[in-house]
Amino acid sequence: MPNTRDQKIQAEAKRLLQDGVVDVVIGFQKGTLPYKMQPCFISRADEVAKLTLNGLCSNNLAVYLNHWPKGEKTAIIVRGCESRAIQTLVLENRHARENLYLIGVPCIGILDLQKIGQQELQPVLAVQEEGDQVRVTFGNGEKLFKRNEALHDACLHCNHPQPLNADVVIDEAGLFEDGSFDKSYLHAFRNLSAKKRNEVFRAEAERCIRCYACREACPMCYCEECFVNHSRPQWIDSTIAPSGQQGWHIIRAFHQTGRCVSCGACERACPMNIKMTYLTDLLNQDMAAEYGFEAGLDAAAAPPFLTLGEDKGKFTGEQEEDHAN
Amino acid sequence: MPTKWISRKDLKKLPDQWLKQYDVYAPIQNGHELAFQLVKESAQIVWDVPSNPRYPAKSLFLPQSEVLMSYDGILHSVEKVERPKVLFGLHPCDARAIRLLDHALVDEQNPDEYWKSKRQSTIIVSTACISPDESCFCTAVGGSPFNTADSDALIVEVEDEFCVYVLTEKGGVLFSKLPDAEDAQREKVEKLTKKVEAGMPKAFPKKKLHDNLLASFETDFWKEVSQSCLGCGVCTFLCPSCFCFDIADETVRKERVRNWDSCMFRTYSLEASGHNPRPTKMERTRQRVMHKFVYWVDLVGEIGCTGCGRCVKYCPVNIDIRAIAQDALHREFEGMKK
Ligand code: SF4
Ligand code: SF4
Ligand code: SF4
Ligand code: SF4
Repeated sequence: MPNTRDQKIQAEAKRLLQDGVVDVVIGFQKGTLPYKMQPCFISRADEVAKLTLNGLCSNNLAVYLNHWPKGEKTAIIVRGCESRAIQTLVLENRHARENLYLIGVPCIGILDLQKIGQQELQPVLAVQEEGDQVRVTFGNGEKLFKRNEALHDACLHCNHPQPLNADVVIDEAGLFEDGSFDKSYLHAFRNLSAKKRNEVFRAEAERCIRCYACREACPMCYCEECFVNHSRPQWIDSTIAPSGQQGWHIIRAFHQTGRCVSCGACERACPMNIKMTYLTDLLNQDMAAEYGFEAGLDAAAAPPFLTLGEDKGKFTGEQEEDHAN
Repeated sequence: MPTKWISRKDLKKLPDQWLKQYDVYAPIQNGHELAFQLVKESAQIVWDVPSNPRYPAKSLFLPQSEVLMSYDGILHSVEKVERPKVLFGLHPCDARAIRLLDHALVDEQNPDEYWKSKRQSTIIVSTACISPDESCFCTAVGGSPFNTADSDALIVEVEDEFCVYVLTEKGGVLFSKLPDAEDAQREKVEKLTKKVEAGMPKAFPKKKLHDNLLASFETDFWKEVSQSCLGCGVCTFLCPSCFCFDIADETVRKERVRNWDSCMFRTYSLEASGHNPRPTKMERTRQRVMHKFVYWVDLVGEIGCTGCGRCVKYCPVNIDIRAIAQDALHREFEGMKK
């Protein structure tokens, strides 16, 4: 059943294509499984009825701008994290803002089906979003979840669900207000002993099959040659062994420092259900404490690591105390 | 070969007996996921597996990382003596994939010894897939949830009891003490088989699909289907019949290692000169689909996809190989034979 959010998105997409404002609109359409949506690329006004945005749209659409013809006039449907990712990409000179038309949608959060149902044991047959509830039909019956219980952790921790710097914002209420991020999970992690933190890290990293879906799903991972593919010199072990798995997870996170927009697209793409945003969130918390910087919030503020000189910014190294709030 | 019958209670005790002589691998709960892993006792085994464990059983024969040899001044070849194994509880699609990989890895003159030794030492006991899920399509690609072709034995659950089809002598060893199934019991199984198969997708017209795909080779069809692809390794790593690998020397550990590789990675076909014959995701997506539905058919006469549904289910952007095949079947491509 079409909802008004979808109808408003479709109307805007239609106008943009009809008036020749853009050549293509990047959004989501219904997928081939009852719990999947797929990214789509609409270039004809008579195809806009495909467009939808709901809690099953799990990717960060900004990722497509990384292999996108630069001159093409492109509209893209953005939630909070997608708008911040694009802001960061523009600041990193990946894209000219004037070629992009951002259709902002106040975010309603992304569902995490891995969290609420173990897919191998009970296949999901249908998902119905009903306001602040989600009805999931499993192989063995139906279950009703509170929307908050079914949301991906990245969305539960999100501080800026409202799209920023969009060209138009669809007039529909989002699920949360800006600034509602509950940081307690990072505190809890920092407060663990080093041994415990290492255990958590290893339990996640050492299930990695190095498919790099996390990298490819991330709008900020656009290097022509990823460090992990480099062979001369080889930076990390190529095998499925703790050294290589841990190496990948650590260095990947470090390369995201002050750039990651905490969208969680990496985790949702991971076929092994591995947690990794806690690492980037920790690093982002350091960036906020040391440099007062959050990725993608300010169209004029370049990321500290792009501008850092001897005279600018000084890392105090006193992180633990600085994270009191 | 005989058909046997066993109660649920007795079947659940069997693996404990096998464990005296064999290493037993079966689906067990591993954190949130199911995985084919070494079993310590029967009680660990997850018996009702409606959906295929995500990490494929090919890893037991072609491990994702395998040491081929080690060196420290002199070469050490790796010991290839394998303990006898039972691989239990995989669905017929996964058993078929392992047999397909024999084609790729065991050439009579030049077998891959690493694969062959593990394969020969393993008895494959599959379980029929009673409730295929939304992503399953084995019947579309020449299989069946009850396929007996590729296992040493197949177990079918009927009304809380189990029918055991012994399919090879190797498989018979594990079930020799069981009574034969009675006619009425066999009939029940046949009825169930028909019922489940009837709910499954129809077979793709293999020849037409093959020809259409070939005709589509140079068309924009591939641009369209690959547009949302991210170029990760999910579809190929989880695919039970993908077998590409890369060999690396881990110089610190002094080992030569074989790692899974993926045709969906942009570095896969990158040559030393910098030239890449499959420069974009369009060529790479095309290669994955062509390999399954054209090249396998040319080489061994059957489709190289077993319809296990893993790539459909775990692709982060829902690229669905069934939909690509359907789409290719229903389009007219230039140069297509009428
Ligand atoms: S997506 Fe998951 S399994 Fe794949 S490389 Fe990333 S963390 Fe590892
Ligand atoms: S690292 Fe993960 S959470 Fe951060 S921007 Fe990339 S995909 Fe999003
Ligand atoms: S191509 Fe997909 S459905 Fe076919 S065998 Fe491979 S993973 Fe399974
Ligand atoms: S088809 Fe899907 S799983 Fe395969 S490489 Fe593309 S995005 Fe990854």
